[in-house]
Amino acid sequence: MTSKRRPVTYTTDGVVVRTSNLGEADRIITLITPIHGIVRGVAKAARKPGSKMGGHLDLLKHVSVSVRETRTLHGLSQVSTVNGYRGLRDDLDRFSRGSYISEMAERFSVENGANQPLFRLLLDVLSTLEVSDNPEMAIHFYEMRLLQLSGFAPELSRCVESGVELEPANHLYSADRGGLVNNESRPVGETALLPASLNTIKLLRFLSRADIAQATAMKSGEDENRQLSRILRAQIHHVLDRGLRSEAFMDEVRTRPGHGNGIGRTTSDSSNE
Amino acid sequence: MPSSDIAPSAAPPVARLIEAFHRLPGIGPKSAQRLTYHLIRMPQDEAEEFAAAILGVKERVVLCDTCANIAEAVECTICGDLQRDSTRICVVEEPLDVVAVERARVYSGKYHVLHGVISPVNGVGPNDLKLRELLERLRDGTVVEVIVATNPNLEGEATAMYIQQLIGPLGVKVTRLARGLPSGSDIEYADDSTLAHALESRAEIPQRQTGTPE
Repeated sequence: MTSKRRPVTYTTDGVVVRTSNLGEADRIITLITPIHGIVRGVAKAARKPGSKMGGHLDLLKHVSVSVRETRTLHGLSQVSTVNGYRGLRDDLDRFSRGSYISEMAERFSVENGANQPLFRLLLDVLSTLEVSDNPEMAIHFYEMRLLQLSGFAPELSRCVESGVELEPANHLYSADRGGLVNNESRPVGETALLPASLNTIKLLRFLSRADIAQATAMKSGEDENRQLSRILRAQIHHVLDRGLRSEAFMDEVRTRPGHGNGIGRTTSDSSNE
Repeated sequence: MPSSDIAPSAAPPVARLIEAFHRLPGIGPKSAQRLTYHLIRMPQDEAEEFAAAILGVKERVVLCDTCANIAEAVECTICGDLQRDSTRICVVEEPLDVVAVERARVYSGKYHVLHGVISPVNGVGPNDLKLRELLERLRDGTVVEVIVATNPNLEGEATAMYIQQLIGPLGVKVTRLARGLPSGSDIEYADDSTLAHALESRAEIPQRQTGTPE
């Protein structure tokens, strides 16, 4: 005899990483939670102005929510905001970085897969990003720590081709092999290797063992920053098997001169100025 | 979900219609089946009228060349109305938002429909919106104010900030719809950002001339 399974209801913390509309006034919410991994649920009537949930269930908000499990989309209710990260809402640059962070958290999470360290990391980085004057390094810290937590920590002390300990010098980075490659061990015909200067390697090693406060206190040059970005992103793309959608907007906001207008301008417009 | 999964035992034309309904936003498999069987029971002339309405929308409806709102000609009725204030443009996300603002009957300016908001996680950037067209409309200097009426959520706010940075240097005043507590709601359930905005945008209660207690 089969007994009817009683619906499970639990309360959890979560960070809203994706929203989409459903029907007349409902909203599908995707949350990253510490115990249940990715949770997708419906917030009934959340788009109506008088909704008790609508204001809480916005992107990049840390909320407490009651989840009623069903076979498909869960039901969400009794929502309250734990941290609204207002600093990410009033600044386009911080918003674009917050979007990148949340998309990565979603891509590295699975449904019903508890991952408390990833959740704590997400909260730490969002809190830091809200106020830090070094958001670039907060992003690099997050990328490095996410790779480490997922078992894809880059090899930074030995050559991934020859296995020999690396001398303090400029080397190359292979995302396919997951670490640094000695210049002499460079495989013939290999073109996907990225340059890694000695300073960039030092920064990568520093990021692999620093905490977020130490990481954001570290200043780096433009060249090192660019190399760090390319190396960490290449490694993330390799792990995820594709790029992240939010990268393009983050790069656009970051590279706009004085955060000015990038739309409708052509090369000839710029050169005439 | 393929039609065979939604309605495995249905005749092929029925299954095809179920699948077509299922592709619509907010329509699940059950609703798709219900709508299909309702259409099957519908009188022939009503069904033909329904089909003609769908075809008519696809054949005759275009986007207004000026504001990108849905129109029957290259210029929508609002853009073609000379009585409306051409110095103000209300920027909205979707054509339905124009209907909503018009329902309030307090705004007599023009509109501009973006057809979306900046949504990095969905891969929607500024170049996917009708922002270039908005900039074109501001070039002749007629417009003095742009009212950004995107939804009061994170992506709507980000789009508003982007528009402000985009057209602020042109000397056009950029305003945002006020945010705060909706009528009939409880403060107890308000989220922190709504309450913060409501406090920041608080307004003095006007003195009444008559009926003031001594």
